Amino acid sequence: MAQHILNAVALGSVYLVFALGMALAWSTIGILNFAHGATFMFSAFTAHVITQQVALPMPAVVLIAVAAGALIATLTQVLAFGPIMRRATEHRAAELRILIGGIGVAAIPLAIAERVTASAPFGFRGSTYQAQVFEVFGLRMTTTVLVIVVAGIGIGVGVWRWLATSRQGLALRAIGVDSETASLMGVDRATLALGTMATSGALAGLAGALLTFQLGAIAPASGDQLLIKAFAIVVLGGLGSMGGVIVGAFVLAGAETFVLAMNQGTWVDAVSFGLIFLVLLLRPQGLFGRKEVRRT
Amino acid sequence: MIDWYFSHIVLIQSTFTTLLLALSVQVPLRAGVFSFAGVGCYGIGGYLAAIGMVHYGLSTATAILLAAVAGGAVAYALGLLIQRLTGLYLAMATVAFTLIISVLVVNGGDLTGGASGLFGALGMLDTGHLLAVVVVVVAALTFTELGPLGRRIEAVREDPELASAMGIDVARYRRATFAVSGMLGGLSGSMTVLLRSTVTPDDINFHLVVLALTIIIVGGSRSWIGALIGTVIFVWMPEVLAFVGEWEDVVYGVLVAAAAVYLPGGVTGAAVDGYRKYRRKRREAAASPPDAPPPQQAAAAVGGDS
Amino acid sequence: MRAPHRWRRLRRATACALAVVAAVAMSGCDAAQGGIATQEGIPEEIKLLGVRDQTGPVAYAGIGGARGGELAISEINRSGFLGDGVKLTIEEIDTAGSIETASAEMAQATADRTVHAIMGPTQGQQAATVAPMVERAQVPTIFTQAGSDGVVVNDYTYRATAPMASYYDLATEYLADKRLGDVSVLYNATFPTFAEIGKGSLPKQAEQHGLDIISSTPVQSTTQDFTTPVRSIAGEDPDAVVMLLTEPQSVTALTQLRQAGYDGQVMATSVQGGGNLTEAGKHGEGVIYPTDFSPALTSEKARDFVAAFQERFGQKPDVYAAEGYDGMWWLARAIKASGSASREGIKRGLQQVAKEGFDGAMGELTFEGNDMRVPGVLVRWNGTSEELVSRGGAS
Repeated sequence: MAQHILNAVALGSVYLVFALGMALAWSTIGILNFAHGATFMFSAFTAHVITQQVALPMPAVVLIAVAAGALIATLTQVLAFGPIMRRATEHRAAELRILIGGIGVAAIPLAIAERVTASAPFGFRGSTYQAQVFEVFGLRMTTTVLVIVVAGIGIGVGVWRWLATSRQGLALRAIGVDSETASLMGVDRATLALGTMATSGALAGLAGALLTFQLGAIAPASGDQLLIKAFAIVVLGGLGSMGGVIVGAFVLAGAETFVLAMNQGTWVDAVSFGLIFLVLLLRPQGLFGRKEVRRT
Repeated sequence: MIDWYFSHIVLIQSTFTTLLLALSVQVPLRAGVFSFAGVGCYGIGGYLAAIGMVHYGLSTATAILLAAVAGGAVAYALGLLIQRLTGLYLAMATVAFTLIISVLVVNGGDLTGGASGLFGALGMLDTGHLLAVVVVVVAALTFTELGPLGRRIEAVREDPELASAMGIDVARYRRATFAVSGMLGGLSGSMTVLLRSTVTPDDINFHLVVLALTIIIVGGSRSWIGALIGTVIFVWMPEVLAFVGEWEDVVYGVLVAAAAVYLPGGVTGAAVDGYRKYRRKRREAAASPPDAPPPQQAAAAVGGDS
Repeated sequence: MRAPHRWRRLRRATACALAVVAAVAMSGCDAAQGGIATQEGIPEEIKLLGVRDQTGPVAYAGIGGARGGELAISEINRSGFLGDGVKLTIEEIDTAGSIETASAEMAQATADRTVHAIMGPTQGQQAATVAPMVERAQVPTIFTQAGSDGVVVNDYTYRATAPMASYYDLATEYLADKRLGDVSVLYNATFPTFAEIGKGSLPKQAEQHGLDIISSTPVQSTTQDFTTPVRSIAGEDPDAVVMLLTEPQSVTALTQLRQAGYDGQVMATSVQGGGNLTEAGKHGEGVIYPTDFSPALTSEKARDFVAAFQERFGQKPDVYAAEGYDGMWWLARAIKASGSASREGIKRGLQQVAKEGFDGAMGELTFEGNDMRVPGVLVRWNGTSEELVSRGGAS
């Protein structure tokens, strides 16, 4: 039992790091980035290519992936989302086009990675890191899991508190609530948007590196599977609430682990999406979401 | 010409079935309902048609009719269940519905063929049948886009509070779009499967949701013409892009992203804008007297390009 | 089962339509270009089409098949196997991982009267979708991979890949020989081939060989993390684990299985071949799997094929390449056997060769109807390459 809980916490932490980046951009500057999964995958892929040449320790690999993620997300913002937001008269009109822009952007790194790897799985075998297995109170875990849980929960709580208390966090939340008024109050939307996207991409890169260490290898298509889960987690927790994302990630991971532990592996997706469906029925704005205010 | 037709018959036919799928997402969107239930009903329809033909020997027409009715009924029931949801929450709930359908058919045993799906469900369908179905659907949709009904739907989308103040039963309109979307999805799914002769759980996936959305945003989301243009673009793009070979997907990505940036109203929106500009220019050239009405007003009166 | 009835009716109607079209086209344009694929005899140039994935998530299967075929063609042409000056040519068309594209390209390919035969899609559902089409157009088509039902369904569909289930008993035999009696199974139940083995043939074969399946854990294609299922399996501490998973899944499951403390024998599938276990590093060492081909095979045909392939492409051939290679040789033998490269001639020839069987890179090839069977071979992944597993007491 305790082992299953530990497994759920480890899985939830991975989901959390991935979903956090997506939630950050979505609930503040209103960008639902469909290229987040591709950013995640391509960051890990970049680190993979470099570790094939140079044997690097774990922190260096993570750093490379984080930098790659930030760079990809910044490029996406500068080349696609930024121009869309500038051209749109109101945010609601831009929302759908941002979705489609992200879908288009996502196709590019995916095609490149599939081409280079011939869709074979890739990992960080070239790195010097070797996972160690140890036992605490009869619970078996690896150093990778430890790193992921600490990073996941640490960054999750960090981002949440930062948004809630810092000045920049306030400015970002202001944009999320009412971007026009925020602009009038002196919030520089374009710069903040760029910074937020870079942070979001860095989180995608971090998730890419950590998950690849945890799984041993990922495939070019792995990002897409996580994307739907992250989408579900953010909605489950409630759009606009970082605390909700933390809860959502662990609820989803817990549900999946439970179904797997019951040896009903083919029902995992039905149970986790069924759960989301149920939560939405009972609480239409997610577990911790604010009520959507429709501005016309 | 006949040679060309036969060698492109699959693309021509999948243009029609894909158009119906795109419409199943566009119809609710036009009423401000962000629902992908149509894609789930595509799966339901496809499986029902295949099960009907393979296990019960139904005729092609019966199988398709059954799929359309069942799709409409399931979507309507779903609409009743989740009518409180709006925006992206609604989108997520309907995506969840779609993905759950795909898990159900994996676990459906002999009835659904499990992971391998069903095969040998080849219907007696030709391009003429597809064309007839699409013409009927498009005619019906044109009716909902024009006149007072079209304006009421627009009101439901743009300002539900105002619409209900004007005596429009907003909830009823929303539920109706669910039913229509389910029927269109069922039609599209059953016809796709009966043309292919096979269906597997993999056919009901998130990429279908993405495809439908891309089609209507790039084509234009306010009229069936936009969906048609988008469908033609995305069904025929692989054929046209074949010359770039292995980089097809990269070019595809760049084109989609560029469309999102440069075509705010989709291709239809851009065409309408272009036409207006052209007319304005002509009018300015013809009527040079300075007291002619400012052309912007005329454009605004047509309804903007929202 | 009333469906086949309907099929036949439709088939007749379409065949008539196609015949009319062909007649119109023939009278309309000049037929002097040669290589009309319905004429009997062996022309100077025999044009083939490869319609399979060259990009997308399973591109490796299509690319491997195309390379194997390309090598076979160069050998056939160079040796004058079909007569002096007779040349096989092939053009590859990418189906890009999509059923729609596959059937669209197939419609064009079958409408092209200069095409004698087609090397069909490698992905199961693409193949099942085009199978009725090639029958309607009467173009003989050889598939590689495409392991699902509904692919080899008529006189024009042929498959040069043995279903994994047909040689997977090599695995159960081995486990029985080594007295690894308690077996846990971890399988991807949403992947047709694995679902079929995991739920169907494996339990049967295990029972025959006196193995005891102590647990069977199905997962989905979307499952990425295996911590929970492998913990349970490690807790059972079976003599062996049978693992039927896709490429990235198997790397993860193996790594996590070893980290969970299990150090017994792992039995996998040919999907783990071709270096797909490389990323698992030391955790992948010692994994055994049955496969239809391995570069470690010692027969002369296999050694020649591996050497020639390495010279041409600079790497060892994978199973997909071997299947493409033997599939192409099947076709060449068929043309020779029937003495005709017409579509009908190739069809007759393919059936004739299938009756007799032949010796290929994958070993003594036999056929069940239009479907290939191979002896199969058990190999061990040593971390960098495959090595043959001696059959021990089994003959």
